[in-house]
Amino acid sequence: MPEEIREDDAGAMGESYYLNMGPQHPSMHGVLRLKLRLLGEEIQDAEPVIGYAHRAHEKMAENRIWPMFLPNTSRVDYLSGMIYNLAYCQAIEKMLDIEVPERAQYIRVIVSELNRISSHLLWIATYVMDIGGVTPFLYLWDDREIILDIMDRVTGSRLTYCYGRFGGVTMDVDDLFCEQTSAFLDRLVGRMVEYDKLVRKNVIFIQRSKGVGVIDADTCRQYGVTGPSLRAAGVAYDVRRAEPYGIYDRFDFEVPTLTEGDCLARYDVRVREIEEASKIIRQALRDLPGGLVMPEKPKKKFKPSPGETYFAVESARGHFGMYLVSDGSETPFKIKLRTPSFSNLAAMPKVLRGTMVADTIAIVGSIDIVLPEIDR
Amino acid sequence: MRAVRAVFVGLWSLLVGLAITIKHFGRTTILRKKVTEQYPHEKPVMSKAYRSAIKLIRFDETNSHDCVGCKACERICPSFCISVDGDKVDGIRKKRATHFEMDFALCSLCGLCIDACPTDTLEYSKLYEEVGYTRHWKHDLLKDFNAYEAQFVAEQRAREEAEAAEKARAAEEKKAAAAAAKAAKAAEAAKAAEPGAEPVADPAADAAAEEKKKKIEAAMAAKAARLAAKAAATPAPEES
Ligand code: SF4
Ligand code: SF4
Repeated sequence: MPEEIREDDAGAMGESYYLNMGPQHPSMHGVLRLKLRLLGEEIQDAEPVIGYAHRAHEKMAENRIWPMFLPNTSRVDYLSGMIYNLAYCQAIEKMLDIEVPERAQYIRVIVSELNRISSHLLWIATYVMDIGGVTPFLYLWDDREIILDIMDRVTGSRLTYCYGRFGGVTMDVDDLFCEQTSAFLDRLVGRMVEYDKLVRKNVIFIQRSKGVGVIDADTCRQYGVTGPSLRAAGVAYDVRRAEPYGIYDRFDFEVPTLTEGDCLARYDVRVREIEEASKIIRQALRDLPGGLVMPEKPKKKFKPSPGETYFAVESARGHFGMYLVSDGSETPFKIKLRTPSFSNLAAMPKVLRGTMVADTIAIVGSIDIVLPEIDR
Repeated sequence: MRAVRAVFVGLWSLLVGLAITIKHFGRTTILRKKVTEQYPHEKPVMSKAYRSAIKLIRFDETNSHDCVGCKACERICPSFCISVDGDKVDGIRKKRATHFEMDFALCSLCGLCIDACPTDTLEYSKLYEEVGYTRHWKHDLLKDFNAYEAQFVAEQRAREEAEAAEKARAAEEKKAAAAAAKAAKAAEAAKAAEPGAEPVADPAADAAAEEKKKKIEAAMAAKAARLAAKAAATPAPEES
């Protein structure tokens, strides 16, 4: 990268030099490029370079009618696509005051939480892989596969769901879905105990993550870090609790927090979130009412009155906001996505300063960034 | 001392992990618990929700699709992958699709076209052995229907003619009935011509009114019975 290292800087930098990590680094998540200025092995400065997966989702939205943005939503963050897809539906419902049937509300909660579990499982798998453990990866993907199969049966897709519609969901769930889901949750309990032994008690894992990459609560506030990274720093902020959307106020669950703020704490918070999500799913399955999931055909064309709507959900990575601006026409004037990974990544230069280059992957991986979500 | 302890703790944690690995290894190799689908030998069954390229539904009544070429699907498709044309066919009320092509390489499988179709004639096919050799991966949705199109048109024409004939007959009958009623009324009126001033009630209308009244009464009675039953049922658990 010769153009970035300027000759006249060389003296001022002393022994320091630049190291490029990514965008095609095997353990870099997606296509992130980190420009590291190193002094020996110590990171003096880090600069995330993003934009390699930019697909102009927000711009795309401005050129088509409102429903045509639906398939885009789950491609913004392909690991928790369902949450994003339903976030858009709920934002539109808030804008147009559309009533959603009870059953559809419960199904939305179940599939969202399943999606959250699968996203966290994938994070644990890839994170452990990043810092050197290959075996857990296979077992966790095995678990995740079951979720994908369950979701496939009702939504018709495994990753990029387009399940939500304005005023409901596309397809009803059946008894088999409920059985499969509770069977999966039962199985997951035993598996999580195994992972605890396999990963959490492993000395190598602990040494590589304990006390590494501490993000304190103040840093989180400054940069707008949300999600498990924020809760690992001791701030009990969860959109599902802070501003309950949908029917989340009906469920009994905890917002797990820890105070250490290091990589290990972020791991622990995610593991406990998997348990909380299971709790929510069990309650939702128990209370699942009957009825229709989509009373009438979804609206094809509508003209919302001019104005703005902001709708926030808790995605697997944090506070995800949808800011819709309507100018009274059939097409959105602007759809702004506030994606959690972007803010979480923004804190990275500060966190990485002063750490060792060997810890870079452990730290960057621990905040669970999804690059397509950052670039949109 | 601490170093020795660390070595033992480390070794122990590795052994615990290894035990789990061995357990899983045994489960899949020694017990031969197969988890792999034997794909070419066993064909998977696709779920009800499975989404593949869209196709036109063949309705039993007509043995054909019901696409009228309205382009609603073409307009809403976010991937712009549908191209459809429709044309008027002689003797049939609705238009018929003459060209329906869809580029599966572009489709994002969102289902908006299925929701948008006014005649509900689109659905996902269950094709999964999809291989494309070109960048343009066109599906001609009318391919399976073209052979039957002439037959369909003939049948539909016959159906519509029959329908029209039926309608005409019904109208004729209605007209005749009305004429008869009118004649009866006229006769009545002629009979009661002397007092003249009072309009005479139509016997047919009277019967209809009677019928309606009876129906309403029956409905009300049913409702009262239902309410009574409910009232009888509700206090019971309170007492117990
Ligand atoms: S499923 Fe979506 S992308 Fe595919 S043809 Fe229908 S509207 Fe277009
Ligand atoms: S919306 Fe339905 S009827 Fe209209 S062109 Fe498409 S398939 Fe045919």
